Amino acid sequence: FCAAALLWGRRCSSRQEEVSVKSDYPIQMENPYKEPPRKCVLCGINVDYKNVQLLSQFVSPHTGRIYGRHITGLCNKKQKEITKAIKRAHVFGFMPVMFKNPSFLMDPKICNIKYPE
Amino acid sequence: MPRYELALILKAMQRPETAAVLKRTVEALMERGAVVRNLENLGERALPYKISKHKQRHRRGGYFLVDFEGPPSIVSTMMDHLGRDIDVIRRTFLKHPVSKTEECSGIIPVNYEDKLIAKKK
Repeated sequence: FCAAALLWGRRCSSRQEEVSVKSDYPIQMENPYKEPPRKCVLCGINVDYKNVQLLSQFVSPHTGRIYGRHITGLCNKKQKEITKAIKRAHVFGFMPVMFKNPSFLMDPKICNIKYPE
Repeated sequence: MPRYELALILKAMQRPETAAVLKRTVEALMERGAVVRNLENLGERALPYKISKHKQRHRRGGYFLVDFEGPPSIVSTMMDHLGRDIDVIRRTFLKHPVSKTEECSGIIPVNYEDKLIAKKK
């Protein structure tokens, strides 16, 4: 009420002026409508060299090559973990190298791979 | 003592022979002062690729997982020992994987402009 009166240039009692000027300013706070940070597909999932099915989802079915970050859409940490696990599985004799295990070809697609037409 | 995991691939054999191989492997481990915690059978499956070992070409194998605690010197001695065993196709020791799944905060957007401009200077 007193703030509106100030706008029009009328006078109020001095004490009330100071209080009302400060109470009118916006309160500094963090954006309350901020979205929580986006999570990648593997956020919260433990990556192991033993579950070959999970690892095969990030590997090309034709050549067996590991997909890059721009295709899998994983965060830094998880991409590194997946790469290490796949390499380990290759060496330990758990996962094929040059192709994708045929029993895992019908798995749901996680990576957004686009083939040139 | 540090905790190790032994991923063992054995030749596809009958049950009593596989049992005998596993028994002598675990005994060899215990002889060298290891404490075997758990022995898991991951099943007999077709190998991902043909492996030639001990003058034989293998297509199928039995997968086993031994987790044990032992002195670090056990690794090299056991690799030698298992290398001489004809029934073992592949042996790999690794440190027991610690499964840490919590505290994944999600993808924090990185400000590349600042990084690159600072480097340019």
